[in-house]
Amino acid sequence: MVAGPLKNVRILDLTHVWAGPLATRILADLGAQVVKVEAPMSRGPNVYPGMPIAGFIGGHGGNEPYNKNAAFVKLQRNKKSVAIDLKSDMGRRTFLNLVAVADVVIENFSARAMSGLGLDYKRLRKANPRIIHVAMPGFGLTGPYRDRVAFGPTVEPMSGLTHVMGYSQSEPRSTAIALPDPIAAMHSVCAVLASLRRRDETGEGSLVELSLHESAVSSNGAWLVDHQLGAELARAGNAHPAMAPHGIYRCRGEDQWVVIACRNDDDWRALCGCIDLLDDSGLSLLERQEKRQEIDQDIENWTLLHDHGDIEKRLQDRNVPVGHVRRTPDMLADEQVQARGFFVPLEERTPMPGNPIKMQGISSHDWTPCPRLGNDNRKVLSEWLGMSEEQIRSLYEERTIFDHPPR
Amino acid sequence: MDRIVEIGGYAAGYCGRLFAQTGHKVARVETGVQDPAYVSQDAMSAFLHAGKQIVATNSVTLVGQLVEKADIVVVDADCADAIDDWRFDEWQSTVKVAITPFGRTGPQRNRQATPSTLLAMGGFTFLMGDPDREPLTLPGHFVEFQAGAFAFSAAQACRLGSMSNSIDISKLEVVMALSQFTTVMWHCANIVRSRHGNDFWSVVPTNMFRCKDGWVYINIVPGFWDPFVAFLDLPELVLDERFITNTRRMRNREALHEVTQRVLCSLTRDEAQMRAVECRIPLGSILTFEEVLDDKHLAAREMWSECLLEGEKALKVPRIPWLIHDFSPTADMSEGDS
Repeated sequence: MVAGPLKNVRILDLTHVWAGPLATRILADLGAQVVKVEAPMSRGPNVYPGMPIAGFIGGHGGNEPYNKNAAFVKLQRNKKSVAIDLKSDMGRRTFLNLVAVADVVIENFSARAMSGLGLDYKRLRKANPRIIHVAMPGFGLTGPYRDRVAFGPTVEPMSGLTHVMGYSQSEPRSTAIALPDPIAAMHSVCAVLASLRRRDETGEGSLVELSLHESAVSSNGAWLVDHQLGAELARAGNAHPAMAPHGIYRCRGEDQWVVIACRNDDDWRALCGCIDLLDDSGLSLLERQEKRQEIDQDIENWTLLHDHGDIEKRLQDRNVPVGHVRRTPDMLADEQVQARGFFVPLEERTPMPGNPIKMQGISSHDWTPCPRLGNDNRKVLSEWLGMSEEQIRSLYEERTIFDHPPR
Repeated sequence: MDRIVEIGGYAAGYCGRLFAQTGHKVARVETGVQDPAYVSQDAMSAFLHAGKQIVATNSVTLVGQLVEKADIVVVDADCADAIDDWRFDEWQSTVKVAITPFGRTGPQRNRQATPSTLLAMGGFTFLMGDPDREPLTLPGHFVEFQAGAFAFSAAQACRLGSMSNSIDISKLEVVMALSQFTTVMWHCANIVRSRHGNDFWSVVPTNMFRCKDGWVYINIVPGFWDPFVAFLDLPELVLDERFITNTRRMRNREALHEVTQRVLCSLTRDEAQMRAVECRIPLGSILTFEEVLDDKHLAAREMWSECLLEGEKALKVPRIPWLIHDFSPTADMSEGDS
C-alpha cells in the first residue's frame, strides 16, 4: 500500500480517458486506496489494431497489449484493478457490495450512464449512506446541454480561452492539448477532498458534480470579470497586457526558441545590460508597449546569434525570467527536476511525471506500477468483502469478473 | 472550519479562493507587491478574494503572529529564499504550504520565472501554435491556479489524515505533472510531440473550422466517425476508402478538412451545434467573453455569483466548479436541447 495522508480513504474509480484517471492518480499518490473498476473491454481487445497514440510501454505490446498502452498506463500507478461486468446483475451486486465499504465512487460517464446502469446516486446511497459519488459529465447532470457530447478540445473554446488565444484577431488558436482535462482533474481532486471533509462534519455522504465545462469556465473567471469592468482583450500572440517585453524569440538552431519576460523596470534594465541593441534602459512599461515591435525585433536579432543555453545563462545571471521552449527530451534532462527526483522510472524504466506535492509521509519509493487488467480481483474481493476463494472462482465462471478481455 | 492564512501571489490566492468558497475562514496578507496579471487588479480581486479578510502588511513579525493562530498557511513566493525570508520553517501552524517556481530545494531553487517561462520549460509551449511560426504561450493564469489547486489538495489531505506537515510545491513540476502523454510518447514511441496549429493531429478530424458567423471546434475520435458522416450529411463518405480508418483519415487529412470546411461554412455556429446535438458528435463554438457570460446553460446551472465592487454594477463571478448535493438532481432535470 502507498503511504500518505489518504491511506484510510477507499475510492472506486470508474473513470476513463484523461481527466478522471488523472484525478484518481493524484489521489492515489496521496495514499488513497484507489480501485479501478473496469469493464472487460475497457482497455481494448486482446489483439491491438495498431500502435496506440503514445506507443507501448517497453516499445512493444507483447502478449498483453491492452496492459501496455503507454498513454493509459501513465495514469494508473498506485491503483488496483478489479474487472467487473457492470451490465450483469451479479456484477452490479458485487459493485454495490464494494460501494458499501468504500468512501468515494468517481466516474466521468455521460450524464445518464450511471442511471442507465442502475447505479445512480440514489442506488449508491442505499448501499452506503456515507458514500460520496463524484460525477464528472461534460456539462453536468442538469441544464440544457446536459446530453451534449463533450471532450476537452470542444469545451475549451466554450470557456472563453480561445477568445484571447491566437496570433491575431483573425487567427484564433486552440491549445490542441485538451487543456480542460487537467483543469477538471485538479478540480475534482479538490472536490473529493472538500466533500470528505464535509462528511467528517455532517456524517452524510453526497453527490458531487464536477463538469468539464464549468471547470474550464471557472478558470477563466478573472477575464470574465475584467470584461464586465470594461476591459477589451484581444488575441495578441505572445504579448502580455502588463509585461513588456514578453515574447517567444527564435534562437540559434532549428526550431529553437526562448521565452523572455520582463515583469518590471528592474527586469528591463537587466535585459538592456545583456543586449547592446536595447539602448534605452529608462523606458517605462507604457513606452515599451508602444515600441513593442521594435524591441521584439532587437531582442530576436540578438537571440538569433546565441544558443538557448547561452541565453538562459546570461539572463538568469541577471535575474531576468527566461525559459527555453523545451521538447520532451529537454524536459526529462532538466537539472532541477532531476535533482528533486521528479520523474520516476516506474514502468520498465519509463520516466513518469511524478507528484509535485513534496512533503513528509509520501514518497515515490513505495509506488506501484499500473496493475494488469483485473490484477486485484482476488485481493480486493477477499480483503474488502471477505469473499472466499470458492465465491471468487464462481464469479470468474459466471463471467462476472475477468482478468483479460474476452477472446 | 479551518482558519487559513494566505500570503503572496495568484497561486496562494486561488488556493485561498477554494478554501473560502468551501466554508473556511481565510485571511489574506497583502504585501503590496503583485506580479503582473492578464487582468486588472480589481478583476483579480473580485475573482480571487471575495469572502476573505484582508490584512495589509509586509511585517515578518506580524505575519508570524497571524500564522500562529492558523490551521493552514499558504505562501506563494518568487523563489526559495523568499520563503525563508518569512521564517517559514519557524512557524508552528499545523499545515504549511510553500509554492515557488522551482521548489525549495535543488540547484535552481532561486531562479526567477513567470508563467510563460515555466510553460516553456515544462513542455507545454512547444505543443501550441503553428508549425512554421513561433510557438504560442498560454495566456492567463493556468500555472498559478493549478499550483493553487495542488496546494489546496495537499493541505486538505493532511487535514483529513490529521497530519501536520510542511509542503513544498514547485510550479514547474505542477506543469509537468499535468502534461498529457508527451513524455511517454517520446520514451515509448520515440516521437517528439510538436505543434500543429489547431489540429490535435493524431485524431482526425480534430480541428477548428470557420462557420458563417465564427468558428467551431470538432473532435472526432474514431468511434464518432459514422455520426460525423451523418452530421456532414454526406453518407457516401462511409464507403470512401480515403477515410475509413483514423490512419487513413490522418493520411488524407487535408481532403477531409476541405470537405468538412465546405459543409460548415454554409452553417452558423448555432446551426452546426444543433446538428451536432442531433448526431451526437462533440462540437464546441468559439465564444466571446460576452457569450460565455450570457450562456443559457451556465445560467440554468447557477454558475454565477454576484460581486459588488464599490461604485460599480454587480459583477458575475463564477462559483467554484463543483456542486455538492444531498440528493440526486437527476430527479428534476431541466429540459435538454436534444
